[in-house]
Amino acid sequence: MIERMDLFRAVAALRTDEVVVTTMTATLQWPLVSQHPLDFDFLAFGMGHASDFGMGLASARPERKVIVWKGDGGLLMSLGSLVTMARYGPANLVVLLLENRTYEMVGGQPLPPSVDFVALAHAAGMEGGGRDGSGRIERWEALDDVDRRLPEVLTEPGPHFIVIPVHNSEPLPPVSHSDHAQRVVDLRAALGVSER
Amino acid sequence: MTAGPSAAAAIGMIRSLGFTHVLSIPDSESRLLHAAVGDDPDLELIVPCREGESVAIAAGLWAGGAKPLLLIQNTGLMESGDALRGCGIGPEIPLRMLVGWRGFAGAEAGRLPIDSAYTYTEALLRAWSIPYEILDGADGLDAIERMDATAAQTHLPAAVLVARRFEP
Repeated sequence: MIERMDLFRAVAALRTDEVVVTTMTATLQWPLVSQHPLDFDFLAFGMGHASDFGMGLASARPERKVIVWKGDGGLLMSLGSLVTMARYGPANLVVLLLENRTYEMVGGQPLPPSVDFVALAHAAGMEGGGRDGSGRIERWEALDDVDRRLPEVLTEPGPHFIVIPVHNSEPLPPVSHSDHAQRVVDLRAALGVSER
Repeated sequence: MTAGPSAAAAIGMIRSLGFTHVLSIPDSESRLLHAAVGDDPDLELIVPCREGESVAIAAGLWAGGAKPLLLIQNTGLMESGDALRGCGIGPEIPLRMLVGWRGFAGAEAGRLPIDSAYTYTEALLRAWSIPYEILDGADGLDAIERMDATAAQTHLPAAVLVARRFEP
């Protein structure tokens, strides 16, 4: 199990021009290691839908990888997303599932203990799936896995669905409710998207 | 009996308005349009599992510069409430929606019981302050054009309620 802030530091060190979508507790801690115009805070945009948003974004911007920090509780809120991703997920989508087995943001209530997220992804057809048939499922148990695999993941075709068991022993910053519309305006500006 | 709109003509309208993707979950009212989108090489059809997914994927597509169209039933509109709030109304993302109005025909004919999906549809759209047009019959596909313009002007979601089943 990886300390989450160590994971964030490791990914931030390897990240270059990818979009990074965060939700729930990741929106609180990722900004401690990254202040990038292509960071997108999905907090309060829709329960369980961060990877759906990321899938749409990646489909619209095939030239750029889109990384989504997704929570395991959020995935349970929209399990069908796995099936949709397995069918339509573009090659440039990377979903990093933070497996802490709790609804951490709202008090740490436990998730159903026997859920196997890798098995769910397999059952959904993610391995060899996605729009181009190059979908990959992985499980990273240690920071070495991040250092070894992330550079490849950021260059090889996906979509990638990667389960990462984490815990957190660092204090969470307070929730910031910045203007939702402005977040989208800023993201589109960073992507060079004109109005239409 | 009033004829429904032509799916082929609707495809022409959708293409002329520059839509790039159609997110559709099949329903009785729109199944012929769903099929026509799938047959069109210039439109990318995505079939999510639930309408909340559709809304969030569409928001991501729009944020990335594409122009998605949501094709859902009114029951799916109700299912997608939190996503519509969070990915459309709140962040001012101009999602365009064609919403199949399940229950319209029965209500029009006075058949009881009235389908609650019919009853709550307009009330729900009004509660969310989502402007909508009603497409009732073979003519009137310009409702889609008006809905598109409204979304562009307001930067908010807008809808067309499709009262009758699409025909070929």
